Amino acid sequence: MSNNILSVNSLTKSFGGLEAVNVENFQINSNEITSLIGPNGAGKTTFFDLITRFQDADSGSIFFKNKNVSKTNSYMLARLGMVRTFQLTRVFDRMTVYENMQFAGSSIKNEGFLNSLFNKTSLRKDEGNLIEKIDDTLKMLNLYEMRNAYARELSGGQKKLLELGRSLMKDPEILLLDEPLAGVNPKLADNILEIITNLNAKGINILMVEHNINAVMKISDRVVVMAEGKIISDGKPDFVRSDKKVIEAYLGSSDE
Amino acid sequence: MNKYITASLLLLGCIAYIFLSNDTGSARVFVNLITFAGVYGLAAIGINVHFGWTGLLNFGHAAFMGIGAYTTVLLIPHSLGREGVIISTGLPLPIAIIFGLIASALLGLLLGLPTLRLRGDYLAIVTIAAAEIFRLLVRDFENLTGGVYGIIQFSDSLQVYRPNFVDVISTKYDVSSAQLWVAILTWISIVLVIIILSRLQKSPWGRALRAVREDEDAVRALGKNAVWLKLQSFMLGAAIGGLSGIFLVFNYGTVQASTFVPVLTFYIWAALILGGVGSLGGPALGAIIFWVIIAGTDSISRLLFESPDGQQLAGVRFVIVGLLIMLFMIFRPSGILGKKEELLLDVK
Repeated sequence: MSNNILSVNSLTKSFGGLEAVNVENFQINSNEITSLIGPNGAGKTTFFDLITRFQDADSGSIFFKNKNVSKTNSYMLARLGMVRTFQLTRVFDRMTVYENMQFAGSSIKNEGFLNSLFNKTSLRKDEGNLIEKIDDTLKMLNLYEMRNAYARELSGGQKKLLELGRSLMKDPEILLLDEPLAGVNPKLADNILEIITNLNAKGINILMVEHNINAVMKISDRVVVMAEGKIISDGKPDFVRSDKKVIEAYLGSSDE
Repeated sequence: MNKYITASLLLLGCIAYIFLSNDTGSARVFVNLITFAGVYGLAAIGINVHFGWTGLLNFGHAAFMGIGAYTTVLLIPHSLGREGVIISTGLPLPIAIIFGLIASALLGLLLGLPTLRLRGDYLAIVTIAAAEIFRLLVRDFENLTGGVYGIIQFSDSLQVYRPNFVDVISTKYDVSSAQLWVAILTWISIVLVIIILSRLQKSPWGRALRAVREDEDAVRALGKNAVWLKLQSFMLGAAIGGLSGIFLVFNYGTVQASTFVPVLTFYIWAALILGGVGSLGGPALGAIIFWVIIAGTDSISRLLFESPDGQQLAGVRFVIVGLLIMLFMIFRPSGILGKKEELLLDVK
């Protein structure tokens, strides 16, 4: 078997006449940080949505861990180990930071109606087992002091961290981050980059969409460039940086 | 703790008002009022599960109340309105009630399956429409439901269980023993439902519903089946609505198509908003206050009109309830018992 965890074949999606995504072939190799860049409207987020099954593709197939997941529900995909975040941060505003984490970590069985109504002892045990993991994750993200605050009271950057922390409660095999640095101050951005690198060192595959080119070039093992729905370049950061097509489409205007 | 003091004072004020404003038969007014308040409160608790917990906009609660009530009544001995067809056999009431609750939950499932996959507003539209379709079907299927003439003579199934002390009390205070019995059962049900719900609210299931209320996509991204969670919530709230509908028709002693008109749903929403969306006891408290206002409008109408007729009374009621909701929206959007930190009335 190949050593890619995720692979995509001939994935297309159109909105009316506009072809938003048309990706012939795309793989994520095990244990890499892959960044997806491209100008606005290149189809990065739509591509994300297609992979995570938040949108239905018009055609094409998606394989996750060599299993065809082209028709799998988004939440089933998350259970299989593919967890995503969102470009506009989505925390549960009117729940506390701690509850956000608890919800992410609690098992499906515990959330069953009858279990919640009747089976209290095993439930307490399971919830108790979460505490340590939640505390550790919150400490790693510097959110521990805020654990009893409502999520909406957090700053934008902290919300990003909470969303990341929530995803980590799922023990993902691949983490898809949609602009993890957007709207985050430079210091916190460095912090987040460090966390991402550490997660990758622990064996979590990362695929992220990000506009901060310097950050992307710094931490990525591989950079994929999209323009007008297609992948126009794919390789190590240095290769992509000097790729003529990329400079034309994207980097040329900002870097040169 | 402040809001609980407010709530207690309001309750005391309400009771005092009833007994001070009615020279004769105040006990009778009181029992009538707490019966309706109980029924509306129970119904509002159902909507609270939908809206306060899960963020589902249900504007067709009357249909859930109605189908629970009709299913129960049709399964016990009853007579059909105009022809007076007497059906003297039937299931024991407790079993009929269970079927009634199941019917309400199933209607919830039926409405929820196609709509809960869509955005929230669609559910609001579908529930309004479904409630009207239900009412019109009930009106037109006269052979089954008695249509506009309704169903009568089913109360005995409940009243045979009436314990002796209820009769003793009702004789002493000159109130209707049948109604007092319905009131007692309704409020016992409210307490039981609140106990069950408080358990659920603190549980992982309740937490999951709140997460759905906050952000469905994030719920899906975390591997949880948001549609299934919404369906469960919808069915639970529908069943609670069904229970309140059953008590409503036992309070009337009859049931017609016109019992479950759309305005019933909106009165229940009013009670929920007054009491506090998202809180456990709020809906019941809101229902009491709502009914005291309804009773109080009579005396206010007498100030405005020499001898108010039904239409004028209804007009004044709408004005006062509407005004009160507006004032609440401005000064206390969380209702009397709602948590300020969890202001739940800002629909996305």
